[in-house]
Amino acid sequence: MLKSTLMKAVATTALCFSTWASAQAVDLQFYFPVAVGGKAADTIQELTSEYAAAHPDVNIDAVYTGSYQDTVAKVITASRGGNPPQLSVILSTDTFTLIDEDLVVPFDDYLTSEEDKKWLDGFYPAFMENSQTGGKTYGIPFQRSTPVMYWNKEAFKEAGLDPEVAPQTWDEMVEFGKKLTKKDDSGNVTQWGVRIPSSGFPYWLFQGLAIENGAILANSDGNKTNFDDPKVVEALEFMVDLSTKYEVMAPGIIEWGSTPKAFFERESAIVWTSTGNLTNMRDNAPFDFGVAMFPEKIQRGAPTGGGNFYLLKGASEEQTQAAVEFVKWITAPQQSMKWTKATGYVAPRPETWETAEMKEYAAGFPQVLVARDQLEFAKAELSTYQNQRVTSLLNDALAAAITGKSDAATALEKAQADADAILSEYR
Amino acid sequence: MNRPAFSVDRLLNTSAAWLLALLWFLPLCYAVWTAFHPAAFEAHFVLTAPLTLENFEEAWAAAPFARYFFNTFLLVTLILICQFVLCTLAAYAFVRFDFPGRTILFTLVLLQLLVMPDILMVENYKTMRLLDLVDTIPAIALPYIASGFGIFLLRQTFMTIPKELDEAARIEGASFMGVLSKVYIPLAKPTYLAYGLVSVSHHWNNFLWPLIVTNSEDTRPVTVGLSIFSAIDSGVEWSVINAATLMTSGPLLIGFLLFQRQFVQSFMRAGIK
Repeated sequence: MLKSTLMKAVATTALCFSTWASAQAVDLQFYFPVAVGGKAADTIQELTSEYAAAHPDVNIDAVYTGSYQDTVAKVITASRGGNPPQLSVILSTDTFTLIDEDLVVPFDDYLTSEEDKKWLDGFYPAFMENSQTGGKTYGIPFQRSTPVMYWNKEAFKEAGLDPEVAPQTWDEMVEFGKKLTKKDDSGNVTQWGVRIPSSGFPYWLFQGLAIENGAILANSDGNKTNFDDPKVVEALEFMVDLSTKYEVMAPGIIEWGSTPKAFFERESAIVWTSTGNLTNMRDNAPFDFGVAMFPEKIQRGAPTGGGNFYLLKGASEEQTQAAVEFVKWITAPQQSMKWTKATGYVAPRPETWETAEMKEYAAGFPQVLVARDQLEFAKAELSTYQNQRVTSLLNDALAAAITGKSDAATALEKAQADADAILSEYR
Repeated sequence: MNRPAFSVDRLLNTSAAWLLALLWFLPLCYAVWTAFHPAAFEAHFVLTAPLTLENFEEAWAAAPFARYFFNTFLLVTLILICQFVLCTLAAYAFVRFDFPGRTILFTLVLLQLLVMPDILMVENYKTMRLLDLVDTIPAIALPYIASGFGIFLLRQTFMTIPKELDEAARIEGASFMGVLSKVYIPLAKPTYLAYGLVSVSHHWNNFLWPLIVTNSEDTRPVTVGLSIFSAIDSGVEWSVINAATLMTSGPLLIGFLLFQRQFVQSFMRAGIK
């Protein structure tokens, strides 16, 4: 009798406890875009279910939301509709847009302890440039990349160049490019020296040239651009000259999406594209290839790219706290490594690269280190208020110069004037 | 005497038709070629290239397509049935009943044609949330079922039906609903067929709204599965993309080819182009 009463009491307590625990469980919804092929979406799902298994007090629901543009559209719609996710991966360049729309909260309020601040300092500074503004941290780097230069070692050998040495400067790139450009008997080019894609978002790779020439395209407050800086003009003139004057690059707009294909088909011996292509290159290139940093003019340089974690407004205190914990977990070495291996994105914390497993991976595939090493010279990707409008002004100017509709200086001056008109209200 | 001129004219017409057909058909040919060959033959057209189904396997495995197909099927069926019922009743009312404000109401319906559905995305999302329907298939369907285009189209068709038929049926003792179902609907069949095709193919291909209003695998349509292949950062894998595209548009293509004659005829009768 006593025993059964005791049992009942225990059972009731246990029941109470379990309902209490599930009542306390925090629901998290997290939107993520996919911008690389392969198993990126599966890896995210895998990581979140791993987290959920280890943390029964958190129900985390990872929602695939298409491209970066679709994701922003969905986040804005859901927020306006009163149903925002607590966490989302969005382009790092959308920071100002999200602030302007009043949709995000900074991480700082939830990272108050000394330990937290140390954690925040543990990211590559180049990635944080796009994540912080006005002294606040709005984004935590996650699926971040940077463009690099790939070169075909076989083509270098055929052209009488050292296959192990990539061009280090702009002049060398032109010089190598001339040797690498091959023509058939009727004068048609069968292999171009260099390929810098210019379709869709030409500003990204162009920004590499601008940084190398010592220019910064926009300030860190996101309200002033420097498109008509003489150094920017010079960079654009160089890009145009590659086709017109030096004849080492195909004329006109060059397609971004087919660039890896053009590399495999030996249409171009040197190509500039994202590190996101690394896995694809390794699996499909029919020849030995090298990866190098962008060549320098007065300095090395490249933009960063990719997406950050953002905390969305409208969540409860517990939810946001749980979201921050999740972000800490997924950017920790073990998880970050898995993500980097699956996608080719650059692990955003130096400590990840220090782990034995990562070192072993890099030893077997040293090309992955180039992007990381380039981070030392990398600058924030172009990002301003009204980002899409301002960026497309620059894109249009680049396209006008590349297609020969306008000279570099005129096109960039016009872009600058239009950008000023848009941005003046944010100063 | 006129014969040679006539045959030159005919020759020109036929060859122009062939040229246009070929132009239209080329992308589809390319899609079929790349989908059935290994990636290495994307730009090499060698007749002896090995055939493979690997691209389809890879595409099928990249997303839960079986579920997505089922969802899309449910979605287009739901939308089509609701549209037919609503638009038929509305069009019938506009044609046969004289009520105050009829013209204004019809103008309002027509105005709907001028508003891009994308503009209403946020408002629609709010409504779905109010109805607690976010992340369900009805949420994808609801904003589209009161179709202004459908009402307009059916009204125009119903207006061409002679009033005598209606009156004859009335004299025989048919109710309003009886007249609708025995006289109007059977005579408007070509319009229903044509409108059905437009509606099904439109909603089969719709992407942004379903992506925004749904979150889970259980409710998302095939287009969301297809979007996983548009990975810009890592270059385009044409063979897999084309395999996935053929796979997702396959049911529509086959359906169209099977019922081609009926479709073409009904389009000519319904006057949609």
